Amino acid sequence: MATITIDIISKLFRSRAYPEGLLSLDNIRFGVADREFVCLVGPSGCGKSTVLNLIGGLDRNYTGRIEIDSRPLSHDGSHPVRVGYVFQEPRLLPWLTVRKNIYFALESIGVPHSEWRQRTETWLEKVGLAGFGDSHPHELSGGMQQRSAIARAFAVDPEILLMDEPFSGLDELTARSMRQQILELWDTTRKTVLFVTHNSFEASYLADRILVMSPRPGRLRQEMKVELPRPRNYESSQLFEFSVQVTRLLTHGGNGM
Amino acid sequence: MAVADQARTQASVSRKPALAWEGVTYRLVSVLLMIAVWQAISLLVSPKYVPGPMSTVMAVAKHAASGALWGHFLATIVRMVSSFALAMIVGVAAGILMGLFRRGEQMLDLWVMVGLTIPGLCYVIVSFLWLGLNDRAAILAISWTTFPSIAINIWQGVKAIDQRLVDMARVFRASRWRRTVRVVLPQVLPYLMAATRFGLGVVWKVTVLVELLGRSDGIGYMLNYSFQMFNMADVFAWTLSFTVFMVIIELGILKPLERKLFRWRPEISG
Ligand SMILES: Nc1ncnc2c1ncn2[C@@H]1O[C@H](COP(=O)(O)OP(=O)(O)OP(=O)(O)O)[C@@H](O)[C@H]1O
Ligand SMILES: [Mg+2]
Repeated sequence: MATITIDIISKLFRSRAYPEGLLSLDNIRFGVADREFVCLVGPSGCGKSTVLNLIGGLDRNYTGRIEIDSRPLSHDGSHPVRVGYVFQEPRLLPWLTVRKNIYFALESIGVPHSEWRQRTETWLEKVGLAGFGDSHPHELSGGMQQRSAIARAFAVDPEILLMDEPFSGLDELTARSMRQQILELWDTTRKTVLFVTHNSFEASYLADRILVMSPRPGRLRQEMKVELPRPRNYESSQLFEFSVQVTRLLTHGGNGM
Repeated sequence: MAVADQARTQASVSRKPALAWEGVTYRLVSVLLMIAVWQAISLLVSPKYVPGPMSTVMAVAKHAASGALWGHFLATIVRMVSSFALAMIVGVAAGILMGLFRRGEQMLDLWVMVGLTIPGLCYVIVSFLWLGLNDRAAILAISWTTFPSIAINIWQGVKAIDQRLVDMARVFRASRWRRTVRVVLPQVLPYLMAATRFGLGVVWKVTVLVELLGRSDGIGYMLNYSFQMFNMADVFAWTLSFTVFMVIIELGILKPLERKLFRWRPEISG
């Protein structure tokens, strides 16, 4: 059981180039229902990662309010529920092996020691990295590192999954199988998922609902319910047409409204 | 995949010892070469001005037998260890302040720079003038000279911390303590190692100076004494014995420690 309610009035980034602050999010309001799969799409630099960061409690410098299960994020940014976060980059600890990286997350989040091995092996296998548990991140390709990070996020058995373009570094074949994996997982365990991507086809394939953001300052341009029946098929023409619609929204601004 | 894995493991297993062995061979060759060159120079110039390896080792043996070697060694090491500890405490604290807080950086960076620029000799003289010719003054001067280079290394290390990894740990609910020990410390460790190396080098050089100027024991004092007596063999002997000692610390403690700590890295030590 986990819902997310986002009500961001504004998010400014102050920097040397913009001492007054650069408005990067403007009036972002949406909710993610329990067990809902929501995709956030938008052009590069529109603030998708920033939204995820705010929800993740990593940046508390904004005006607005974010609630998880109707409770605001606590003062130190920690969550009332377990969160699995796949960052845009792998963010593995380079001095630990892949297995130890996953153990680190499991231990941090309080999973009993007896379950570490089983969970880690299961997830490494599911992301196609069986046998690479003892490798260090620098011994893996970029895509393999990203898959390790995905395994880490799933292994903690999160109630909320935040994913930031997790498959953008993978080849289409691997990405497809990962998408299927995610849907399978979501189907069996029904997590609440907020998934960032700029790939409208991917969004259409995965989501219950798609939120389209405008270029900076990020605003919500459009919300689309994906009414396609599941399981969805890559070859289905409905899916394709739907994704074309999403792409049109992304590229031509308000045309679709 | 299993086969590939096995191949990988075997490759790394068979590569590592070969590399280590190679390293030893070349080191040994270079040491022997150095001794040969030393001997040659000694013979070419005159053993009176440049004592050869043999007579130097004999001189070391003589002092070891008389017990003088150990007493002076001990005096020097006690000074070095206490000054190094003090410099480390102050240097790490200053480095962390400068790395974490912009105010700290603005307040301290000038003084660290100035501290680095002023020759150790100045600190030594001032310290002796203020506190007298005692060990307190000696330790103050040595650690004062040393702390800026430690602070600079730690400063860099703290600035280089990858906040994104710390954030990752926070998302997975790692406690502050856990983030510090498991995520921040390993990132700063290489800089801490560099600070140690740098620090020991400076400490050693200033200790000798301090002993020469204002103490009546220790390697520096004995170096000066031998110089006054124009006993070149003794000058060489004291220098050699302490150099060997420092090399043993480097190869016996620092290097293995580094190898153990940074083993995960792709081929840094070779
Ligand atoms: N640390 C920062 N300091 C200053 N500005 C920032 C910072 N992080 C992001 N921004 C600004 O906020 C905007 C949104 O950044 P964000 O990373 O959220 O974009 P994004 O939608 O995830 O883009 P992409 O698809 O390229 O990952 C950017 O235009 C950038 O200028
Ligand atoms: Mg992004």
